[in-house]
Amino acid sequence: MNKKRSVDQDTRRRRALMVFQILIYGYLLALFLIQLHMYSVRDW
Amino acid sequence: MTTSALSLPNLSNAYDDHQEKSRQAQRRADRWLMSGTIVMGTLILGLIGFPLFLRGLVLQVRAQRAGLAVRPMVCTLLGYLVIIDSALNSIGWSLDMVAHHTLINRTILTAWGNMVDGGYFWHYNELWIGGSGAPGEKAWEIALIPVVFCMRLAAAIGFLQMKRWGHQWLIVTCWFGVIIWVGYVANMTVFADVRFTNVVFPVIGWWIYDIFYITPFLAIPYLHTVNREIFSD
Repeated sequence: MNKKRSVDQDTRRRRALMVFQILIYGYLLALFLIQLHMYSVRDW
Repeated sequence: MTTSALSLPNLSNAYDDHQEKSRQAQRRADRWLMSGTIVMGTLILGLIGFPLFLRGLVLQVRAQRAGLAVRPMVCTLLGYLVIIDSALNSIGWSLDMVAHHTLINRTILTAWGNMVDGGYFWHYNELWIGGSGAPGEKAWEIALIPVVFCMRLAAAIGFLQMKRWGHQWLIVTCWFGVIIWVGYVANMTVFADVRFTNVVFPVIGWWIYDIFYITPFLAIPYLHTVNREIFSD
């Protein structure tokens, strides 16, 4: 029972970390792409 | 093996001997690793520090292969990476905050600004506080150097000593890293016209240079899943 709970907790933790990584790198990539778009349309 | 060879005092001596050898090997490797890290943390002397650091890594691997009880390699790399990250961030921003009128700073930072980040070129040294005139930049410097990077440096040292508080505070400061980069990149994008107008390598140059600094996130999954029992109270 305890072992099952700890496995569940570990799985949930790993899943949460994956979601976090996708969100944070997704955010950075999105802002990079926004900057690239601005670079293409502005006279920098 | 005779009975006397297995007696308690002999076992205890063997254990103490192993512990002492491990401690010495770790200290020897750390001397090289720390020297290399300090030299690399100066930025300008980075290439000199790198071989010193590598020598420390070789000693660490040898000690591990010899079966000595030394720090895990991933902790070693992570701890020293955080120290270098804190040092490099601190030195650049400290120069901009308190040494903005020195010749070396006006030469290096504005040249860098001209190449990739107009925030360090546009109206440089024209604010009452001096240094970068980019919107928001000074607020980041004031908030992050004394609070985050000092805390991060202390946490990394505790982490390298395998202390529980070092592990906990490294987690805290890695999450600070998320706040820093979410905010700072948003600032770069909102004021992109200030940052990238008339610079030599707009956008791509800045990202190539700064991608190294966006490392705190990499450590978060490891820090949250590592066995906490390896850190001592």
